[in-house]
Amino acid sequence: MLARREIASLRAEKTIVLALLIQLFVAAFSSFLVVGLVSLYDPGSVEGYTVDVGIVGDESSVADLRAAVEETRGLDTRTYDDAAPAREAFDRNELDAVVRAEQTGGRTTVTALVPDSDVRTTVVVVQLRDALRAYERAERAERSEHLSAEPLALPPEGRSSPYYGFTYTVLLPLLLFLPVFIGGSIVVDSVTEERERGTLELLRAAPLSAADIVDGKTLAAAGLAPVQAALWVGLLELNGTSVANLPLVLVLVAALSTVVVTLGAALALVAAERRVAQLSYSLGTLVLFGGTTLHEDGPVGLAARLALGSVGPEATLVVAGYAVAAVAGYAVLRRAVCRVDLG
Amino acid sequence: MSGRDRLARTLRIARWEVSRSADTLDRTTVVVFLVALLAAGTVVATGAAGGGVAPDRDIYRIGVAPDSAYRAPVEDTAPLRLVAADPGLVASSRAEVVVADGEVVVADSAKGRAALAAFRSAVREHNLALMSAEANRSAAFPVVVDLRYVSRDTGALAGTGAGSGTTTGSGGTDGSGGTDESGGAAGDDGDDGGAFAVPDLGAGTADLFGGGTSGGSPAEISPPFPFASLVLAFAFLVPMNFVVQAYGSTMLEERIGRRGELLLVSPATPGEIVAGKTLPYLGAMVGLVVAVAALVGGGALSVAAVLPIALTFLGATFATAMFARSFKELTFVTVSVSVFLTAYAFVPAIFTNVTPVALISPLTVVVRDLQGGSVSVAEYLFSTGPAYLVGASLFVLGVGVYREEDLFTQRPVPLKLLDALAARIAGRRSAATLAVLSIPFVLLAELLALALLFALPREAALPVLFVVVAGIEEVAKSLHVYAGLHEGPLGDDRTTRGALVLGGLAGLGFFVGEKLFVVIQAVGLTAVPLGEATAATAGVLPVGALLVAPLALHVVTASVSALGAVRGPRGYAAGLAAAVTLHAGYNLAVVTSLG
Repeated sequence: MLARREIASLRAEKTIVLALLIQLFVAAFSSFLVVGLVSLYDPGSVEGYTVDVGIVGDESSVADLRAAVEETRGLDTRTYDDAAPAREAFDRNELDAVVRAEQTGGRTTVTALVPDSDVRTTVVVVQLRDALRAYERAERAERSEHLSAEPLALPPEGRSSPYYGFTYTVLLPLLLFLPVFIGGSIVVDSVTEERERGTLELLRAAPLSAADIVDGKTLAAAGLAPVQAALWVGLLELNGTSVANLPLVLVLVAALSTVVVTLGAALALVAAERRVAQLSYSLGTLVLFGGTTLHEDGPVGLAARLALGSVGPEATLVVAGYAVAAVAGYAVLRRAVCRVDLG
Repeated sequence: MSGRDRLARTLRIARWEVSRSADTLDRTTVVVFLVALLAAGTVVATGAAGGGVAPDRDIYRIGVAPDSAYRAPVEDTAPLRLVAADPGLVASSRAEVVVADGEVVVADSAKGRAALAAFRSAVREHNLALMSAEANRSAAFPVVVDLRYVSRDTGALAGTGAGSGTTTGSGGTDGSGGTDESGGAAGDDGDDGGAFAVPDLGAGTADLFGGGTSGGSPAEISPPFPFASLVLAFAFLVPMNFVVQAYGSTMLEERIGRRGELLLVSPATPGEIVAGKTLPYLGAMVGLVVAVAALVGGGALSVAAVLPIALTFLGATFATAMFARSFKELTFVTVSVSVFLTAYAFVPAIFTNVTPVALISPLTVVVRDLQGGSVSVAEYLFSTGPAYLVGASLFVLGVGVYREEDLFTQRPVPLKLLDALAARIAGRRSAATLAVLSIPFVLLAELLALALLFALPREAALPVLFVVVAGIEEVAKSLHVYAGLHEGPLGDDRTTRGALVLGGLAGLGFFVGEKLFVVIQAVGLTAVPLGEATAATAGVLPVGALLVAPLALHVVTASVSALGAVRGPRGYAAGLAAAVTLHAGYNLAVVTSLG
């Protein structure tokens, strides 16, 4: 009953709408960033964009370098006899980079000029790096008899979407655990507000036990997170990102949500004022998530692996462990609340 | 009432606020806090020792035989997990890539291809380590790369003798006087590497470039990180969140249980009370900004650039605390504000090649400060002006409702906002002045819209952007008119004539504000071509072109929505919709005819 009241008050203030909007914004913003970043670091993923490279230098190096550059996706070459016209073309924005190759003492020295301007610099440098790596491999192969260990042959190039890993290791955990964090924050606010307004006493006068009150406050908040998580997963599916092991993922979210909400409620009951409660709650959750990321079965990594389907049957046990820990923590809070006086 | 009295009262309230905050730190709180700090310390310590955070640990499974040379790179790479070299594992989707008998078997899925790409880069890393151990350097690294970042606009052409000998030494000066925005990693000197035809390439160039490598193997080239301002945005804004949380709490607590009444009946005016209560938090913000600036290596200029953001943050929180009905509402609005501000501070940096737009973000000034560049007074005002204005207007709005009848009543946030706007309306003239003041808010909102819509495909994004921009501008022109008509002193103007006058004034005010912005931009900043679509949609048309048309547009659309506003909420919605349609159509027509 109290849980229903909590949800109704959330709805009345339209805060839930705002919460969803914030999450949507954060997700859109971060994917916007990543689409931008990734297309910089892997310009091949952006259609129809080429980097024009001017090449100068001595004849044999130029021929080899040119072959390597042309092999790389998204690069066009032009050869110049002399440095001056190449530099002029560079200054006229006709070339994105100028590369000069010369033999010096058994090595090839490559001097590369790139524009010091903006994000485009990054694109140019990334493309150039790929070409120069290919060139280095070819040159190294020619000198292989001088090497004590042969470099490993590279596996074939995979034409993979550069967003793939990010979607599962960053975007999905963000969408799954942001509602969890917000849920805990709601509980902190809700409990401290009842305390500050003195309405917790009123609730006590109603035929409700202390445990009932805690149940109502926490269940409403803890239940929202899995529902939202399911919503986000649905959206991702529509977007073509499939999530494996969905039931386990949702159980994981529910368990964490319970842990965080328990923490929030406990802090709100202990701390004297909302300021202190919110501050220690934010710090506490940051520590919780930051700290567990270091661990192999931390929730962020575990969620990513579950969603990718890169787990064996043992993952079920780990998720069950989380669920047990969450229920146990909540039980401790309930017992403690029954002992101490509220208000 | 002398100025000294006011100051004394303000300071006394500030002192109370500080001592009251100290009082809330009772013993339990201190214990809770210490435990949290201790836990944080432990985590940081173990994190530093444990090799860092890897959320992508073991996400791909690679099968390699125990005697294969590929085993080492797989074992050394966090995202890759070693499994048995059985091609059957790929078929039963228990592995993504398997190397068996010299063949590489890859699962035919997006995941398989991603795993292959990760495997390939792991092998590349392994080769680099292998070659680094070779005795024969010239065979291991047959190619030496010297990467130079050159400003194009310096005109330093490739004279063969130019800069001979010394060019590999310390960094050249930033010849363009700060017009190039390299966006490189913090500490990047914005180098102008000098002439191209340098005969000798030795050591000593490596420290020249923050982002790139020179004199090394191609494998060691690291492209400059283009989003230094993102890192800065987080460094400055995340700690600010904590201050703002506390500030919002204390302001809202005044409104709970009529606690603020005692101060209200004292001789102190609302302005003094708010100033006094804000002062300690403003001080905390300044301390924070100075500390972070010192950490990232910025000077006074960085502090001066970030402070307006802090002011805006405090102002938004104050206004929210005045409007919110509960802590929950406060939390949500504060979180949204912090997300939006982060985006606002960061997004313009993406348009670094469109310098005037990039300068809107105060962080651009910080980046320049870190790079040792200079910023003119006009440029400083341009980039921080909107933030100062927004912060100040939010405080003004909030103080307007810091009175008994508003402080202790609970109304939905939108109605409170209308109240606050109405409190600032003194007469018909206010319709124009408030429209001028709305410009920084409009700018902020439009930038955010741009950031959000960026992810959409271009064909879809542009029309949507036009509609959104039109919507933002129309709301900015009409909301205060509506507030004045229904909540404020303009009730007599609820006639067609009155609406036309108010709408005309609002449109004129908005037009003046917009052009003021353009003039500041044209005068203060060296002429740099604007990004056409961005600027046109931000309402910034080239100076001298089409001065009359925008004025007519703003007046007409503002009148349309004002006419609707006269007829109550429904009429306002209808009028607004008509105005937005008109405006969006105009934007579309202008952009298609120009480009």
